[in-house]
Parts: sequence; structure tokens; C-alpha cells
Amino acid sequence: MASLPEPVISVIRLSKVYHSGFRMKRIRALDDISLEVEKGEIFGFLGPNGAGKTTLIKILMGLTEPTSGTAQVFGRPPRDAKAKARLGFLPESPYFYDHLTAREFLVLAARLSAVTKSETAGRVTGLLRLLRMENAADIQMRGFSRGMLQRVGIAQALVADPELVVLDEPMGGLDPIGRKEFRDVIVDLRDRGKTVFFSTHILSDVEMICDRVGIVIEGRMVEVGRLSEILTGDVESIEVTVRGVTGKTQKILERVSQHSLRSGDELLLTVKGEEEVDRIMAISREVGGIRVVGIVPHRRTLEDFFMAHVAKAGRSRD
Amino acid sequence: MIDRISGIALNTFRESVRDKVLVTLIIFAVVVMGSSRVIQPLALGEEAKIIKDIGLSAITLFCVLISILVGGRIVYREVERRTIYIMLAKPVRRWEFILGKYLGLMAVLVVSLVVMTAAFYLILLVLGVGAPLYLLLAVLMTLFELAILTAVAVLFSSFSTPITGAVFTFAVYFVGHMSRDLKLLAAISPSPVVKAVSYFSYYVLPNLANFNIRPEVVYGVPLGPSALLLPGLYALVYAATVLLISAAIFNRREF
Ligand SMILES: Nc1ncnc2c1ncn2[C@@H]1O[C@H](COP(=O)(O)OP(=O)(O)O)[C@@H](O)[C@H]1O
Ligand SMILES: [Mg+2]
Repeated sequence: MASLPEPVISVIRLSKVYHSGFRMKRIRALDDISLEVEKGEIFGFLGPNGAGKTTLIKILMGLTEPTSGTAQVFGRPPRDAKAKARLGFLPESPYFYDHLTAREFLVLAARLSAVTKSETAGRVTGLLRLLRMENAADIQMRGFSRGMLQRVGIAQALVADPELVVLDEPMGGLDPIGRKEFRDVIVDLRDRGKTVFFSTHILSDVEMICDRVGIVIEGRMVEVGRLSEILTGDVESIEVTVRGVTGKTQKILERVSQHSLRSGDELLLTVKGEEEVDRIMAISREVGGIRVVGIVPHRRTLEDFFMAHVAKAGRSRD
Repeated sequence: MIDRISGIALNTFRESVRDKVLVTLIIFAVVVMGSSRVIQPLALGEEAKIIKDIGLSAITLFCVLISILVGGRIVYREVERRTIYIMLAKPVRRWEFILGKYLGLMAVLVVSLVVMTAAFYLILLVLGVGAPLYLLLAVLMTLFELAILTAVAVLFSSFSTPITGAVFTFAVYFVGHMSRDLKLLAAISPSPVVKAVSYFSYYVLPNLANFNIRPEVVYGVPLGPSALLLPGLYALVYAATVLLISAAIFNRREF
């Protein structure tokens, strides 16, 4: 009998209410969130600041308890040491011990994760090389920049070669080159069969590397799925550029389009679909002197999708 | 398990040793012991006793300060700097974390005691007032006392800020040295409230006065083995109980 593979992360109807401030104001940081992350995928947890991303990750790491609902990692409660032995975690804007060097800290991390003594030195050196930190390996982390701390952070998360890697805003504080390197590290983990769960508020991070995404806004999961499913391949609109336009031909053409923009004798028309493009072509054949010089289809981007949801959440709150 | 606890302890030890507070306190202690020579002029026999008493008192006082000042922020610091996220996301149980922090600080105190005691004996030798080994018994009793006090400091540190923690730990130290007075107060006070508070403090707070055997060793009063064994056992049980409570509180915390 073939059993279904157990999800690496399973979150069922999870809610978290914080009581904060003097008057114990209630903040619903997570509101009935459910999701599953399968083995071997890169899952992007996307949402604007304050959406509840860090809260969910803290619950998954056993740092905070949910108000209701359940969270499991490898089928176990998050506080279970057996679950934690199989994962690595990079917190948001991480901070480490000032008094340690990067190498000392990685050795400590290895020791706490039960990496054997004989393996530790090789692992640590390998990670320092992978993250191009060899030069800074033996100085105290006191003066480390945000980007350097981020590198140490990913190295300590990977030191036990975990099956699951959880990263909270891993690209925060990195320059474009650093972001590219981090993306490569994440993709490489997936290629080696690992599962990666990471949060971000930056769309392009998700678009480039994620297999699946969950979009969270104000504590609610508004969408979970494959990127290709969320952004159905449908063409949203087509931009047609026509040259040699006069006042009279502009009027005729504008009847077909949703939106137009005139610049000199060029007219940029935004239309709904191919039917409208055909009509513009027909018009250009009938009316002399105008010519279609460009047709650019526009697909829906994650950004459009994200902005639409943020706008909707804003409206429903008012 | 041993690996994880000792890893956390080693890290705590390193953090304190590389910290200025510790070095400053140890230097101060040595300066105080050295300057006891200044207390002049006194009868010859008295002078030797006073130098020994001041030296042993300075060792105790400065180690108590280390215990309270470093211990008071030992857990808080990890929360404040969010290093706790990384530690607790590793396969480390929360009680292992508390025990590791405690043992690390105890290691710091043992090293401080050794350094200060070595300096103390050196001063005795230089001053030529005689350096009998039985003075070490007083140092050992200080270590027992520190075992209790540090557990109390870790307890407060596991849920409160460093200043509150230090104030409360100091209060426990202070009241702990007045145990006999408390019992007396409880017996003679007509007010039931004072009676209750005194009895409560007497039974719950550690009885620390028993750990002060400085007058005995300085005046060469002979001590039986039970004078050391019983306080040692008491310290072990008391510290273990306080650490259990700390772990239980820490276990319920959210970060
Ligand atoms: N410890 C806390 N106490 C009170 N409110 C909190 C706490 N942590 C987070 N919040 C609130 O919960 C919401 C979600 O925060 P967070 O999970 O950090 O969001 P994100 O990581 O997506 O930026 C925010 O409104 C934040 O202010
Ligand atoms: Mg966050």
C-alpha cells in the first residue's frame, strides 16, 4: 500500500492573537491560515510588512505558540527536538554573538545540531568558502555589516545539512550581487532534494525561484498555489503601436481600444485581445498612410496580482 | 545532550571572559586585597587577621557582584539580541539552555575564585603574615553560596530585565544573610502579617549566613567535616530546585 508522502510543513487553521501595549490591544497577526509544504519544493511566503510572515515562522520554529490551530514540522509539534534536528533556520535581520568569530560561531552551531567533531571543521570551512567569507572567518563578528551577518546566518542554518531550511526575509540587507548569490544557494538546495520555505515582501525574489507561493495579507492567506496557476498564462492586454496617425484616423482607432496614447504621428493603443488587433490591422489596410509597427502582448505579473489583493484588503478595511 | 549543554556553557564562559565587566571586577578585587595593608597601625597579631578577613571578604564580595551583574542579564541578553531565536531553533531543549547558561556562569565564577584566591595567597606571602591552607575552606564555602545565588540570578533573568533581576537577586542575598534575625522576628512579632512574611522569607529564601565561615578560619577555630558537607548538600539541592523553577518558567515563555 502506497502511503502519501508526509508534508514537511503542515499548518491547519492557524491563528495568532497578540495582546500589546498598555491597554492590551488585540492584534490578529494570523487569521485562520492553512498550508502544506511538500518535500523538495521552494515555497515562497509572500506578503507586505506586518502581514504575519515572521509570526508564522516563529510558530513553526517553536518560539511562539499559536492561539488556535495546529502547526507541524515533519509530522511533529514544532518544539520537538527531533523535528528541529532536521531543519535549519535563518531569522529576520539576524544577530549573533559579538564576542565570537564567524568560525567559532559555526562550530558552536554544529555542536548544538549534533554534527560530529570529525565532520565539523570540513563543513564549516566549506560553508565559509561557499559564502565567500574566508577572509572574515576569524575576526569577531562585532563589526559585521548586515550583509555579512546574513551570510553567517545562512551558514549556521546549513551547518547540519538539514532537510528543511526556513529563511525569514533572507535577501534583506543584501546588495544585488548578494541577492543573486542567495538565490543560487536556495536553488542549489532544492536541486539537492532539500525543502526551502522562505518569506519575503519582494516579488522578484519569489518570481524567479519559487515552485509555489502563498500570499498573505493582514494575517490572511489570500492565495496558495503554483505560480503558473496563480498567474494564468492568459494575455491580459495587447499594446499595438500604429504610425502615420492623423486626427481623423486616431478617432477611428480609438473606438477599438481601451486606452490610447499619442506621441507625434505614433499612437499607442491598449486593446483587450487578438480580435481587436485584427480589426486594427483591417483599418490600417482600408485607411491609407497608417501602418502597424508593433504588437506587444501583456501577461499578468505577480505584481499586478499582489497589488490587486493589497488594494482589495485596503478597501474591505475601510 | 551533554554536548549541547556544554556547548552553551562554553559559549557563556567565552562571552563573560571576553567581557570587560569581569576583568574589571577581578582587578578591583585584587586592588582591594592589596590595599588592606594600608589599614595601619594595629597590634601585630590583629593586623594579620584583618588582612586575611579583608582578603576573604573581598573575594566573596566581588564574586557575588559578578554573579549578580553577569547572571542578572545572562538570559535577558539572548532575548534582547534575538540570539535566542537561533539557539532555540536548534535541537536544544529549553531546560538544556538554562542549565548550560548556569554552568557557564559557574565556570566563570570558579575561574574568578581561583584567580582571586591565588592573588590573595600571593599578597599574604609578600606581606609575610602566613598563608595557611585552611583559609581555602572559606573560599569553598563561598563557591557553595555562589551556586545558590547564581541560580537565583538565572531565575530572575529568565523572565525579567537585568536591573529588576539584579535588584531582586541582591535582595535575596541580603535577606538570605539575615535568616536568624528573620526567625527571631517571626517568633517575637505581635503582628500576624510580619510573622507570616518573616516565616515565609525564612523558609523560602536561602539561608546564606551559614556559608560565612570567615571568622572561624581567620581565628583558627577547628571545623568538623559536617560544617562543610551539610552546606554543600544544601547548596546543591537549593540550586537544583531554583533551576527547575527557572526552566519551568522559561519553558512557557514566547519570543
Ligand atoms: N510580540 C508581538 N507583540 C505584539 N504584536 C506583534 C508581536 N509580533 C508581531 N506583532 C504584530 O503582528 C503583526 C504581524 O507581524 P509580523 O509577523 O512580524 O509581520 P511580517 O513578518 O509579515 O512583517 C504586526 O501587526 C505586528 O505589529
Ligand atoms: Mg517579518
